[in-house]
Amino acid sequence: MKLKLNFPKDLYSDVRVEENYSIWFSNENGEVDRDGDCEKKGAMIRVFDGELWYTASTNDLNGIQEELDSLAKLAKPNPDIYENPEIKLLEVNKDSVFKFTGENDVRNYTRNDFKELVDYYIDNCIDCSIPEMNFWNVAANAVHFEYSFYSSKGAEIEYDSQETRIGAVEAFTVDGATTYGYKIIMKPCFEELKGHEEAVNKKMQESLNYAKNAVDVEPGDYCCVLAPFVTAMFTHESFGHKSESDFMLNDKTLQDEWVMGKKVGTELVSICDDGSLNNHGYKPYDDQGTKARETWLIKDGVLTGRLHDAQSASILNEELTGNCRAQDYTCTPVVRMTNTYMKGGTTPIANIFDGIKDGIFVADSGSGTGQAMFTIRPNICYRIRDGKVCEPVRVNVINGNVFKTLFDIEAIADDFVLCNELVCGKSGQSVPVSAGGPTIRVKSLTVN
Amino acid sequence: MVINMRERLTTINESTEIKYQEGKKVAVSKNKKISNSFRVYKNDCVGISYQLGEVKDEDGFARAEKALERQRPYPFGLESGVRHRDKTESSISDSELVEIAEECMGYLNRTYPDYSFHGTVMWESQLSTRTNDMGMDYSNKDAAINVGFDFKHKDSKDISDGEFHFSLRKYDNKVFFKMADDYLANFRKMVDFPDEIIIDEQYYGIVGTLGNHLSGENISRKTSLLADKVGEKVFADGFTLTHDVTDKECWFNPFWDGEGVTFKDDKLVLIQNGKILTGYADKRDAARFGINHTGPAYADYTDIPGAGGLNMRIDRSDKTVKELLDGRYAVIPVMSYGGGFNEKGEYTMPVHASLLFDGEKVLGKLPPFTIISNMFDIYGKDFIGVSADQPIYNDKQLLYMVMRGEMK
Repeated sequence: MKLKLNFPKDLYSDVRVEENYSIWFSNENGEVDRDGDCEKKGAMIRVFDGELWYTASTNDLNGIQEELDSLAKLAKPNPDIYENPEIKLLEVNKDSVFKFTGENDVRNYTRNDFKELVDYYIDNCIDCSIPEMNFWNVAANAVHFEYSFYSSKGAEIEYDSQETRIGAVEAFTVDGATTYGYKIIMKPCFEELKGHEEAVNKKMQESLNYAKNAVDVEPGDYCCVLAPFVTAMFTHESFGHKSESDFMLNDKTLQDEWVMGKKVGTELVSICDDGSLNNHGYKPYDDQGTKARETWLIKDGVLTGRLHDAQSASILNEELTGNCRAQDYTCTPVVRMTNTYMKGGTTPIANIFDGIKDGIFVADSGSGTGQAMFTIRPNICYRIRDGKVCEPVRVNVINGNVFKTLFDIEAIADDFVLCNELVCGKSGQSVPVSAGGPTIRVKSLTVN
Repeated sequence: MVINMRERLTTINESTEIKYQEGKKVAVSKNKKISNSFRVYKNDCVGISYQLGEVKDEDGFARAEKALERQRPYPFGLESGVRHRDKTESSISDSELVEIAEECMGYLNRTYPDYSFHGTVMWESQLSTRTNDMGMDYSNKDAAINVGFDFKHKDSKDISDGEFHFSLRKYDNKVFFKMADDYLANFRKMVDFPDEIIIDEQYYGIVGTLGNHLSGENISRKTSLLADKVGEKVFADGFTLTHDVTDKECWFNPFWDGEGVTFKDDKLVLIQNGKILTGYADKRDAARFGINHTGPAYADYTDIPGAGGLNMRIDRSDKTVKELLDGRYAVIPVMSYGGGFNEKGEYTMPVHASLLFDGEKVLGKLPPFTIISNMFDIYGKDFIGVSADQPIYNDKQLLYMVMRGEMK
C-alpha cells in the first residue's frame, strides 16, 4: 500500500508500515497439533525535534496521518532540524525490492502444501520402532513480510522478505532422563524446505546415541573444538553484540577499549555483518531507510568496524551501516546485527582435531550469551582423545572470556556454514538473524 | 457436541513509555494494540480468525466461519459464567508519568554520577474480555507502572554491569529510591564469598522447569522426571506450589485460562508440602491421555489452546529473609544467565555479578561464580523458603542453598 503523507513542518518524521502473513501446520505423535494462518498490519510513526523522539504505533493504517499530526503537536518545531547531525546522516533512498513474488511467494502455497511437506518428513524421518522415542513433532511454517518506509527527507522504500521453516523434534528417554533431538531448517522459499531428510535423520541418530551413551564430563579447562553452528553462536554472542555501538555512545572507557585498529584476536579471525545476504537476517533497508552493506568488524584480528544507527554513527563520527532494526511495527528500532559470520579458514576439516590429546568437541548448542564473559549451552558434546572424536559427554555450560578467547583460536577449518536458525534478543525485542562460521579450535575454555 | 456456538476474545493494551539513554531522556512512545480472536464452533470443530484493531462482530465471525474449512477438531464444551475483575489501583496521566520518570532519572544521575543509565518508565494498561453464546461474560482489567534501568560504571569495560526493575499498580517513589540504593550503593565494594552459598532470587525463571515436568502430557509420555512420582512426597515439607491468578505480582493475567476455565478460589495446588498432588492438563490432553482435566491452558488467539499458561507461585513462609537466613548471608544474583537445567534435572548457572546481603543491608559485590545444584535439591533438601517480606526485589524472594563452581 502506497501512502500519501503530509509531513509536519520543521520536524523530522518517518513512517514504517509492516504487513505480514503467517501460516503454520504441525503434527505431534500422529495428531494434528498446530494448524492455522493469520494476517497482521500495523505502522510505527516517529517524529523528532532534535531533542526527543515522539513515537506511536497503530493497527489502523487509515489513521497514520492523524497519529503523525498528534505526535507533531507534542514536539517543538525546529527550523534547523535537517542540520541535526543525526538527521543529516540519514539516507534518502527510493527503491522497490520485491524478491518473493510468483512461485517464491509463500502466500501462493496452501495449507495442504504445508501438510504434505510435514507428512513427507514424517514418512521419511520418524521411526516409531525406536523403543526410546516417546514423543515426536514435525512442524512447518512460513511468514511473508511487506514493508514500506517513508521519511520527511524524501525516502520512499518498499520491499518484502520471507522465512519458511521445517522442524523435527524427537524425545528419547533413557533411564528416566529425556533428551530432545532438534533439527530445524530455515530457508527463504518454501521449495527449499524439501530434501533435508538425511540431515534430519543424522541429527536424530546423533541425539539417540547421546541419550543412550553420554557420560558426565569432569569439569575443568579443556581445548575445545566448536562445530560451525557453535562458532556461529560464539561469533554472534561473544563479539557481535560488542560491535553494536549504541552501548558506547559517550562512554570513554568503551571507546578506548574498542578503538579502531586495535588487535582484538589472532590474525586468523575475521568477522563480518551483511544485511544484504539473502539469509534469515536479510534486511535490504534498515528501519531508518539505510541501505544494507557489508561491514567488516574484524579483519585479520584487527578491529575494523562496528554496527550503527544514525545516532551512534553521528556521535562516533563513523559511516552508517544499515543496522537499525525493530522487532516489528510496535517497537522503535535499535542497533542490531543482521547476518553475522566468522570467515572460514584454511585448515582442512579432517585435520582440525590433530594434536588434541584431551579435549571437548562441541557438536551442537542450544543457546549462548555474551558480555566480557560468554557462555554456550551445548546440546551435544564429545570427548576428544589423541586427535579422535570419542564418546558423547554431558556438558551443562561452557564459558570463557571473550577477549582471551579471540586470541586463543588456534585453527579455523575450511567448512564454513551460514546458519539461519537464530533469533536474537536485545532491549526486549527479538529479530531474525543468521550467524555463520567454520569449525574452530580454541586452546582453552571452561567446561562445567 | 457443540453446534454453531460463537466466542470472542479481545485484549486492548495501551502504554506510554519514557525512554532514557546514558542518563538522558530520548523518547516518548505511545502504543495501542487491540487483538481479537473470533471463534466459531460447529460439529466438533472450531474456525478461528485472529484480527487486529477495531473489528465488528459480524466481520470477525464471518472470517471465523470461513476458517471452519480447516476442519480443526475441538470436540469440547464451552464454558460459561459472568464475572468482572478490576485489579487497577491507580491511573497515571502522561504528564504525571514524565514527572515520575524525571524524578527517577534525576535521583540516579545525582546520587550515582559515576554510573551511566539506560532504561524506561512505562505506564501500561490492559483490558481482556471473553464472551460467548453460552452466556460467558468475563472481563479483567489491570494497569501498572514498570520501571527498569540498566547500569554501567564509567570504568567498566562491559556493556552493562546489571539492571533492576519493578512493577507497581500504585507508584511509590520510596520503592525506587530503596531499590536503586540497594543495587548501587555498595556495587563497587568487593567482598569475599560466605562459607555457605544461599541464593536469594525471584524464582519465576527457575520454577519454569517444574512446569514442564508437571505437564500431564509429559507425565503421561514419561518424558517428565516426575513421571512416576505423582502422589509421592518428593520435595521439602515447606514447599507448596500453586497455579495462582490471585497473586499480587501476577501482572495482566485474566482469571480464566485459554479455554475460559476458572479455578476454585482462582488457584490450583500442584505440590503440597513437598507431595506432588497432580500434573496439569487442558481439555485436549485430558482426553488424549485419559487424565483429569485440571487446566490451565494457555490462550492462543490464532489457534486452539494448549496446556500451559501457569502462574506458578511458591507459598510464602511466615519468616522474613533475615529470619530465614538466621545469621547467615544471602547471594543476590544481579546478572546470571547462560545456564539452566539439563535432562537429568541438574542445574548450572553462571553468575556474572552478584551482591552479598545480610537480610537487611547489601554489603558488597561478589566475584563471578557458577551455581551448581539440581531440581530435586533446590526444592528439596536445600530449600529454605520464600520470605514473608521482599526487601530487594519488591517481589517474592526464594532462598536455597547451592554449591559454588568456578567461572573464569
